[in-house]
Amino acid sequence: MWKTNLKIIGIVMGTLALYTIVANSIPQVASEVPEELTFTDEVSTAELVAAGEELYGGAGGCTTCHGTGTRAPNLLTDHAGEGAIGTRCGDRVPGEVCRVYLYNSLVGPAEFVLEGFPPMVFQARTFSDAQLWALVAYMESQGGEVTVTADDIAASADPGQSTAAAATESPAGAAAVASTTTDVAMLLQEQLCLGCHAIDGAGPPLGPSFDGIGGRLTAPEIRAAILEPNAGAAPGYEAMIGVMPTTYGQAFTAAQLEAVVSFLAGRN
Amino acid sequence: MSRVTGQIAPGTALVVAVFVAAVPMPLLAQAAEGTVQMPMYGQFPYGGARFAIWIAAQVHLFFAAFVLGVPMFAVVAEAMGIFGQEPKYDKLAKEFTRLLLVSYSATAIWGAILAFGLITLYPGVWSYLAEIFAPSMWAYVGLFFFESFTLYLYYYGWERWSVGGAKLGHWTLGILLNVWGTAVMFIANSWLTYMMSPPADVTPDTSPAMVQFWSAFANATWMPINIHRVIANIVFGGAIVGGYAAYRFLLADNDDERAHYDWMGYVGNLIAIGALIVLPFAGYYLGREIYEFNQQMGITMMGGFMSWLWIIQAFLIGVLFLAGNYYLWVGMGRIPGATRFQPYTKWMLLVLVVGVIVWATPNTMIADRAELSAMGGSHHPFLGVLGVMSAKNTAVNLMILTTFLSFLLYRRANKRPTVTWARTGTQVQAALFVISAVIVLFYGIYGYFVTAIVRIGFSVYQVLAVLFAIIAVSAIDIRMMRRAESYGAIRWGQMPPRSQYALFILMVTFTWLMGLMGFARSGIRQHWHVWEVMRDTSEFAATPPLGYAAQVISICVLIFLGLVALIFWVGGLAEKPIVTPARKDALMGGEHATAAVAGD
Repeated sequence: MWKTNLKIIGIVMGTLALYTIVANSIPQVASEVPEELTFTDEVSTAELVAAGEELYGGAGGCTTCHGTGTRAPNLLTDHAGEGAIGTRCGDRVPGEVCRVYLYNSLVGPAEFVLEGFPPMVFQARTFSDAQLWALVAYMESQGGEVTVTADDIAASADPGQSTAAAATESPAGAAAVASTTTDVAMLLQEQLCLGCHAIDGAGPPLGPSFDGIGGRLTAPEIRAAILEPNAGAAPGYEAMIGVMPTTYGQAFTAAQLEAVVSFLAGRN
Repeated sequence: MSRVTGQIAPGTALVVAVFVAAVPMPLLAQAAEGTVQMPMYGQFPYGGARFAIWIAAQVHLFFAAFVLGVPMFAVVAEAMGIFGQEPKYDKLAKEFTRLLLVSYSATAIWGAILAFGLITLYPGVWSYLAEIFAPSMWAYVGLFFFESFTLYLYYYGWERWSVGGAKLGHWTLGILLNVWGTAVMFIANSWLTYMMSPPADVTPDTSPAMVQFWSAFANATWMPINIHRVIANIVFGGAIVGGYAAYRFLLADNDDERAHYDWMGYVGNLIAIGALIVLPFAGYYLGREIYEFNQQMGITMMGGFMSWLWIIQAFLIGVLFLAGNYYLWVGMGRIPGATRFQPYTKWMLLVLVVGVIVWATPNTMIADRAELSAMGGSHHPFLGVLGVMSAKNTAVNLMILTTFLSFLLYRRANKRPTVTWARTGTQVQAALFVISAVIVLFYGIYGYFVTAIVRIGFSVYQVLAVLFAIIAVSAIDIRMMRRAESYGAIRWGQMPPRSQYALFILMVTFTWLMGLMGFARSGIRQHWHVWEVMRDTSEFAATPPLGYAAQVISICVLIFLGLVALIFWVGGLAEKPIVTPARKDALMGGEHATAAVAGD
């Protein structure tokens, strides 16, 4: 009887040991807590890059998609013969320098989807500005020159510091509040609406087309869809719930919002 | 005459007391008014608070899964005994139920440990959840009481209500036991799924008092978890019963006992592997709902820091398939006529081994720069081809088909069909297997030539092809084997001991796998107690790597199996002769020796 019991114990312990050893022999990846970053005005490039690298490879979860090359472009190696991200970031959007492009693509990933890849699901709202800029600095360092400074962090933390002169340079979030135009064409460009919605038969089909939207939705429905984009989805776009920013209530002035709503409601 | 196998009432009383104590309503009321500062975290001297809660929660869950899974097939076995006029099934159902009694106490005790652990180590989280879910906690206590009381009536009334209408009433008690148990599980599931997928309108600034109860209760992942757990509990219960039967088989004193436990082990394995085949579909539904709720959470689960976890899972499920099939193949040695099927075994083994290798091939792993340059790209130049979902889905579907073929051959090993269409029927069955395999292979290969979104849809066709083959082949087989001639009865009990060790491996692997998947489900919240609502600010906020998790899981499995062994031993005490015949002879001078055996 004891011999049988010992055999059973041996089988059980051996099986447990096997699984434990196998699990310990593979690469060990933990999910770290994003470290809260605070930088002084004298923060160095090296400090920003180091903090960004730690975030990129750890708690930021960036390598989940950007490390594979299948869900998202690989940022640390060449992509489509254009080099690493620091090399190619300055050419992505005309008029936008590298760091601005990178920052904007972090806070509004749906507007900068590379052809052949699904929209990025990174949720910038769970990261502080210091963390986001550290990430930008690290990405710039991958084949390019690091241009992020403490001023960038301060500017995005306090949008009031953003100047009109910096409009082409400053990130979308900071630039948005500076604009007071009610020209809808400009607003749609400025708020990057056309990054996802097609108009006049052209544009990416990430969101419902603006063509004929007035026939599908009433003005109040369009207004509600802008202010609370995640409350529902147009047929066929259910999977995109959560992609559209929920900040347009703050980004538009009341007059701008009504101008956009009237414009869209009139597109039958 | 049977002896009582355990004292249950204290366990139940304990759980009621814990839940009454665990909802500190006045304290919460004061906290809401700002008069009491609730501490966020407590300290645990060994391994830290997270380690303590992890152990308590996982061991509690193991026992809970067992006591919820076993009644499901106990009540089915009893029904087979009643409606099929097969007393052996009734005996089996009673034996299943006997295992539950002491397990209920263990479940309650570990539930109490978990509740006290949460109150003392994570009081902030506990008070937050209690404020939202207080009504359901009281309902939980009430249902648990009904469940426990129904179990006592069900077990202790077995002999009293054993014939006629009373027997049907007894069977109804078994159904009620399942209803209460399932309701209890659904309630507890709402608490943990809320932590994963709180309603969209709940933010870090939302007071728990303002969270709507029903929207928190019926959150996005609640029903998928409910369904997944119901099936997983059946799998788990079957595996533990198989382990119990194997233990009793190995220590059996006589052929009758050995035959009974051989058969019980077979039934346990059949239940476990049979339900396991369905489980991936529930897992797919759960995964889809997680993606629907939050894509980032979904990607973290499948391709983020947990991506290696699925390779370990593939390895474990490979072990399950291999051990389950091995048990069947060895078991065919005790079936007259089975030798005609033995030449197929090596080919089935080949399919399973190749399937496991393909399924366990890493693909979209997190790689650092050094690893990327070592591979020459984001994927391995050769293995990358095998690691994609097209190959993996093909492999797992062929493994399921092969396992079903093993069951089919086992089932008809000692039968010779007598129906006139037997030859045609067998040919149709073979054709269904071949067509299903061809469909699986076709979409597996075609998947390499289409985009990802199209490829994902192919997995549905593959699954449907396999399911259709399983259902159609089974339907044909049932009709074809009616009034079949027999090559001879199955020689229950004539099973080599090594087959029983396969059942132990199955039991350990299922248990470990459950722990691993528990880590996956809980770990995808990362550093959030409640996803994007309540941040974990403790020193244990980071989600540990798989190696550490594996060590904790192994400790949990050891504690659980150690206690299960104790329960089996306690359960066995009820049947052991109080006085052995030899001892009785010695005491009574050889008279009445055979009458002095206690136990049923």
